[in-house]
Amino acid sequence: MNKRLIGGIAAGVAALLVLTGCAGGDQPAAHDDTLKIGTMSKPTSLDPIDAIGGTMPYFQAVYDTLIRRAPDGTYEPSLATEWSYNDNRTVLTLTLRDDVTFDDGTKLDAAAVKANMDRFRDGGGPNASFLAGAEIAVVDPTHVTVTLPQADPGLEFYLSDSAGLMANPAKFSTDDALVTTPDGTGPYTLDSGKTAIGTSWVFDRRATYWGSKLDFSTITISAFDNENAMVNGLKTGQLDSALLQTADQQLAAENDPKLKAQDVLFDFQGVLLFDRGGALTPALAKPEVRQALNYAVDRETMLKVIRDGRGEITSQVWGVDTQGYEKSLDDYYAYDPAKAKELLADAGYADGFELVLPRLTTIVTDNIATALQTDLAAVGVTLTWQDVDAATALKQIFVQREFSGMVMNMGQSSDDWIVYKGLIAPGTFNFFGTTDETVQKLAASARTASGDEAKKIYQQLNEHIVKDAWFLPFYRMTYKLVTVPGITAVTQAGQAETSIYNYSLSH
Amino acid sequence: MVIFLARRIGASIVLLFVTSLVTFLLLSLSGQDVGRQLLGLNASQAAIDAKNAALGVDRPILVQYGDWLTRALRGDLGRSWFSSEYVTTAIAGRLPVTLSLMVGVTLVTAVVGYLLGVWAGIRRGAVDRFVQIFSVAGYALPGFLVTIVIVIVFAVQLRWFPAIGYIPITQSFSGWLSTITLPAISLSIAAVAGIAQQVRSSVIEVARSDYIRTLATRGLPHRNILFRHVLRNASAPALTVLGMQFVGLLGGAVIVEQIFGLPGIGSMAIQYTTQGDIPIIMGLVMLSAIGVVIVNLLVDLGIGWLLPKARTS
Repeated sequence: MNKRLIGGIAAGVAALLVLTGCAGGDQPAAHDDTLKIGTMSKPTSLDPIDAIGGTMPYFQAVYDTLIRRAPDGTYEPSLATEWSYNDNRTVLTLTLRDDVTFDDGTKLDAAAVKANMDRFRDGGGPNASFLAGAEIAVVDPTHVTVTLPQADPGLEFYLSDSAGLMANPAKFSTDDALVTTPDGTGPYTLDSGKTAIGTSWVFDRRATYWGSKLDFSTITISAFDNENAMVNGLKTGQLDSALLQTADQQLAAENDPKLKAQDVLFDFQGVLLFDRGGALTPALAKPEVRQALNYAVDRETMLKVIRDGRGEITSQVWGVDTQGYEKSLDDYYAYDPAKAKELLADAGYADGFELVLPRLTTIVTDNIATALQTDLAAVGVTLTWQDVDAATALKQIFVQREFSGMVMNMGQSSDDWIVYKGLIAPGTFNFFGTTDETVQKLAASARTASGDEAKKIYQQLNEHIVKDAWFLPFYRMTYKLVTVPGITAVTQAGQAETSIYNYSLSH
Repeated sequence: MVIFLARRIGASIVLLFVTSLVTFLLLSLSGQDVGRQLLGLNASQAAIDAKNAALGVDRPILVQYGDWLTRALRGDLGRSWFSSEYVTTAIAGRLPVTLSLMVGVTLVTAVVGYLLGVWAGIRRGAVDRFVQIFSVAGYALPGFLVTIVIVIVFAVQLRWFPAIGYIPITQSFSGWLSTITLPAISLSIAAVAGIAQQVRSSVIEVARSDYIRTLATRGLPHRNILFRHVLRNASAPALTVLGMQFVGLLGGAVIVEQIFGLPGIGSMAIQYTTQGDIPIIMGLVMLSAIGVVIVNLLVDLGIGWLLPKARTS
């Protein structure tokens, strides 16, 4: 009886294995022409007005941008073949290709570009402010001008990003038409039958694409909510590429000798000190206090403990791909608690002060919370964490302005002006609007500068921000772009997930 | 029986209504700013207000609930705030994944757990001790750990099964089986242990009871007593536990679906709940409430069929 039972089970298992067609063994060296990307980013819709940086690969499949960003962050022709500014850099004239059509035969011309940019500006999307105040005019079918209220060196970046995505204007009249059924001129079209929105998106090559084809007939982008599953997918060849952020999953991928892992330096982690005017925490108004905080933090140890050393310590918010980046500034604030105490005493805070920061557990892990608390306590600053939840955190921090600062993982753009606009200029991450004469002067001249002159200005600006301790950066985090054999991927400057154009079959 | 059913269904409708109202109120009172979450930090306040107005979240909560309820009664659960999917489509797309898992696990649990329990309860001795040890181990090992080990051994190392993903049964039966086997096994271990324990103790208890002894003294065949009396009476508690486990599986599915990258209800619940996507959360809560109601009804009917005495109580 027992023997028969065991025999039956064995036969069942064997049958199951035959049925499922499973077999051990390694992947063949040559890869088929399907690219399967795993990601933790999901688009809220596929309408260009909803596009944001982290979800650009989805949009790049279906749409083209006016300008393309090369892997090193420089700008290349795409739908626009050339573009140039007038003397005071307030009017950009773009020359368009004349051989691009949408699926229904509608031609992409200057009127379509204007319709897209007008809609983007007024559509109330996350990046609508990119084109705020811009007037778009049709010169002739292949020329448009973008007139800005004042020079904005970020315009090329915007047009290589969400603001440059061109959809078929025929779809604009229907509400939500593009949300799940995108219609662009890009290298692929969305395969609605195979796509399960929210889980996996399947893109098929467009036969009539105007540009150079990518190597893949199909691209699948699957969204995951944990990196463990992505690593298992990479190891079994069910995924071809994924960006890994956490140290333990990077390690898990590196343990598989077949997988290739490349460094991506995009996010830095640190405290954004919003309250430089001292509205909530008066001590923060003094540069000495902010400098003291910078000296108090032991970045090397934090990096080792929190990220297994996977990153580079830094005291600057400008990233390695920018013109303003200066390597020497990375360790400007070397760990020196004695100096921190001295600076605090000089500022009149010899007994320290209390700092309350919000704690989003997805960013501020136990390790970070303890490390920061301990380092600051050592120089007399009491750090109190106040728990906030993801759904209400943005409102509490940025609208109700309840906190003097916050720990953030901030992406580092490859474009200097975007760095300035994002972190330094009064606005989202400078909602108290603090600034000073040096910053204003440098920013004003950066607006119309280009080439070496611009580089010099951004370096001065970066240096000033570091020395005046506007922020408390810890380190740039090393992410890993992992690919399977047979797939080549090039990392994209100033972007975490690489652009789809950067993938090819290995030869 | 008709009155019993009618009473049950009436109570279920009230339950569903109250659940929906309470859930909606609790979710809406969290004070989240959806427009801000959706549009991010670069958007102007005017754009955010416009977005909130478009989503209708600027209205009083009870008006919003009334709106949701009237639409829901017509079968329109709205659209996800964060992925633009229609809630019904999103759930319909993911439900088969989780249902495959739950049904698979329940079948495995019922068959294996029941057999083990009966075997241990009747044979006792070494067999019983083996089943006992298995049960304790099944309970004690953390589910996620078992799952991770199973993935590493059978998917990543041996390559017998895929490590991630789901193939619909409509697309390929063998594919479906291959994607669902490991997750189902991972979820079954603790469940089998639970059922085996339950069945074992019931069998022992019933077998020891006076009426069974009386039946035996009257010379009824052993097989007859076992199947018609012992197992029948011992099955009712197991059925209740199985019903409870089926509902509880949704919780277990959350972890297993994440580890296997399965696009099911469990991983969906985690993602959308942390974002505060009210249309999706409401849809999921209603789905699980209806699921609980149906499972309980089935369990009651099953017990009524097994034990006629229970029908009147």
